[in-house]
Amino acid sequence: MTRYIIRRLIQAVPVLFVVSIMVFGMIQIAPNNPLAAYQNNPNITPEDLLRLEQEYGFNDPIHIKYFKWISQTLQGNWGDSFVTHRPVMTEIAERFPNTLYLSGIAFLLALLIAIPIGMISAIRQYSLFDHAVTTFAFMGQSIPIFWFGLLLIIFFSANMQNPFAGTAMFPHPAPLPLFPGGGMTDLGEYPPDPLVDRIWHLVLPVTMLAVFQLAQHVRYMRAGMLDVLYQDYIRTAHAKGLRERAVILKHAFKNAAMPLVTVIALEIPNLFNGALFTETIFSWPGMGRLFFNSAERGDYTVLMGILMISATLIIFFNLVADVAYAFLDPRIRYD
Amino acid sequence: MNARKLVLVFVALVLTFVLAACAAPEPTKAPAPVAAPTTAPAQPTVPPKPTEAAGPKKGGTLTMVVWQEPENLNQNLSTMTVVGYVAELAIEGLVAVDNKGAIIPVLATEVPSLANGGLSADGKTITYKLRKTKWHDGTDFTCDDLVFTRLVQITPNSGSLYAIDFANIDTIDCPNPNSAVVKLKNPRGDWWRYFSGLGYAMPKNAGKPEEFKTWAYNRKPIGTGPYKVTEFITGDHITFDRNPNYWQEGKPYIDKVVVRIVPSSEVGLQLLKSGETDVMWNNTEADLPALEKMPNVALFAAPQPGGERLILNLTKPGDPSDNKTPHPILGDLKVRQAIAYGIDKDSIIKNVLNGKAIPGAGELNIDPYNCNIKPYAFDVAKAKQLLDEAGWKPGADGIRVKDGQRLRIKYQTTTGNKLREDSQVLVVENMKAIGVEFFIENQPSSLLIGSWGANSPRKKGNFDIIMYTTNAAIDPHSQMFNYFHSKNIPSADNQGGANYSRWNDPETDKLIDQAGALFDWPKRKDLYCQAAARVVDGASHIYLYGRMTLQSFNTRVQGWLSSSWDGPLWNIADQWLK
Repeated sequence: MTRYIIRRLIQAVPVLFVVSIMVFGMIQIAPNNPLAAYQNNPNITPEDLLRLEQEYGFNDPIHIKYFKWISQTLQGNWGDSFVTHRPVMTEIAERFPNTLYLSGIAFLLALLIAIPIGMISAIRQYSLFDHAVTTFAFMGQSIPIFWFGLLLIIFFSANMQNPFAGTAMFPHPAPLPLFPGGGMTDLGEYPPDPLVDRIWHLVLPVTMLAVFQLAQHVRYMRAGMLDVLYQDYIRTAHAKGLRERAVILKHAFKNAAMPLVTVIALEIPNLFNGALFTETIFSWPGMGRLFFNSAERGDYTVLMGILMISATLIIFFNLVADVAYAFLDPRIRYD
Repeated sequence: MNARKLVLVFVALVLTFVLAACAAPEPTKAPAPVAAPTTAPAQPTVPPKPTEAAGPKKGGTLTMVVWQEPENLNQNLSTMTVVGYVAELAIEGLVAVDNKGAIIPVLATEVPSLANGGLSADGKTITYKLRKTKWHDGTDFTCDDLVFTRLVQITPNSGSLYAIDFANIDTIDCPNPNSAVVKLKNPRGDWWRYFSGLGYAMPKNAGKPEEFKTWAYNRKPIGTGPYKVTEFITGDHITFDRNPNYWQEGKPYIDKVVVRIVPSSEVGLQLLKSGETDVMWNNTEADLPALEKMPNVALFAAPQPGGERLILNLTKPGDPSDNKTPHPILGDLKVRQAIAYGIDKDSIIKNVLNGKAIPGAGELNIDPYNCNIKPYAFDVAKAKQLLDEAGWKPGADGIRVKDGQRLRIKYQTTTGNKLREDSQVLVVENMKAIGVEFFIENQPSSLLIGSWGANSPRKKGNFDIIMYTTNAAIDPHSQMFNYFHSKNIPSADNQGGANYSRWNDPETDKLIDQAGALFDWPKRKDLYCQAAARVVDGASHIYLYGRMTLQSFNTRVQGWLSSSWDGPLWNIADQWLK
């Protein structure tokens, strides 16, 4: 097993190298650069724009640009953003905790709810509960997420009042929206207790994110469980006279969770990439918006930083998933 | 089983209804249509005046939402509009432009002019009397700070935006800390924009010039303005606290200003409605129906400078080095004028812009440089007659033909802009009616309006007609010079040139050159207007419409004076909260 892990880690190096070349090439094919946003700005002369383009080396041939980038990156310097002129790692380090905070909570919440619901739904297949769950899961996956977020704001922020306004919990005098329409903290003159404030700001964005993931996970869990429930070894367990609870939790769950493990392992790297729609709707300064803004501006050092970390995480968590299989299913061996 | 299916259908139906109910916007609460004082186009709303008797109230927190993330707050390093609109809370120019377009003194105690001797007759020497005030960190604001700012600007590879402009400053002498003598190599009509738009004064202790790009100052600038930056949380908010030592006695009134970054304009509108924010910058025509229904919101609307236009290529597309051979179709003045007469601008404004725009007339359309050029009338008969005279005769399918060539023209704009795409459809219809075939071939804006190095068609002259919006700055010289002077026809030697229509008219060149060297505003205006009129007559740019600057304020905000030239908080020192 150890040898297998080491081999996979060594293989990752050339993979990352190829990824870096491909990603860099693709970014450079896009015809914009960080100065393109100034092209029609009457406050800067075309001469000065041209001078800056040369200063930053935007018109250098692509292999020169790549060489510059890779040589500084190998020395541990990811370069500076061309837009904010701050180190790429500073930009990422500033956004990543916000993303982890929002997406991480939504992810865990979705998982904690999805696993029991998916299992019950499978065990009581075709029950009223099962029908309700499948309907909900179907809707959760098909609602346009952007629209759903706006609905949450219109419903719970613009049109509902906070009944606790003016109390110790929310010192702000009424009227105060039930939940804030965005942002991470209260910026007014009457901020609530920091912990209350955090939770208060998280409710709507976490709901928006979790509903979609929940719907997805429930379907995987239910399907995995259904696959397992009618297999011989479960029947054997029942025949041995084991209690229902023991059959489900000890024998069925481990195998039923396999598809979900794959999905989760591949989803964890996405936590790093952030959730663009949720971050946009709820004014949450996370990785999704950093990536989107950088792509829009053609800020390629930042893009490369995000994409390379993301690629590394994907490779790593694929390995984790493979190792987890071996743990969950003794039939799988790597040596 | 059947009973279960019924239950399932029932549950689904209930859920659908619940969602539908959520979706229905504002069911019954429609407020009486009294509140929002929207204005007819062309005249700004009269903002609420502070009541004389009570006087402005002190205290409170004002919140503004902006949809873009300011990349920093240093206007010597970034010229994004949002950066300026936020940084102006802390940073002041030597002079500023008020909401009427007049130049007013700020850090200079008076605006230098020929009359007061601040400006020399040859326009090369400008003498500023500087205000005795302090930077936010307590050090004195002096002439040395101007010297330092110039040094930063001209330091090679510093990332500064205005190196070429500042290279035109020969010396800055400091006879005493509170006066500055700026000597220019070449006089320029917009001299007043130095340190007042073309960069702003920075304190000499801000950092080393060669490390300019990475100064901590860039995110927390030290200014002289009414507010100081106390917190900059990237992508979330920027907080400003009142500067107790502000040079205007007793001002500002408001204690704290918070700028929140809200990327979605739908959400911005909800925050405005719920009162979570007081000011929203950059509303669009599409927001108007919602804004007009908000009883707690006052709206500012005034025409924007410049506007959407068709830029016609007067030279033959294909060879970037050839800027002489006329365009086979658009090289003919009569064809260009026919296109101008054939477009129904009013219908575009009515159908695409909710009626909230003004018909495009010319390059300079608002004060202080309003040329009052008459827009081309919508005149189908005239358009047809011009095409007949030019020798283009209707063919079998109604599209005109001349010497076997079809009157077919490529019509491009940026992709993904619904407003532009909708107006394109109307223009294509208009053209069909006069026997001209426009075919659409849109491109992403980064490609269409990119740089020479990126092979942008407008730079390389490889287009027939491109449509987009551009505008002059408050001083029109740069726009007039770059877009219409023959020197600025883009070429391998002048890749920055912006005369995309290849308008080559010695008379226009002469007018722009003369105006650029003058300091007398009325005379300059006259010359620029003559040049702008020549462009309109020559129909190298065909102006479609000018949009409105739309800013919204909660009714508790008093004392605002908006203008199209600046952000909603430009006069924050005079604003207060009811």
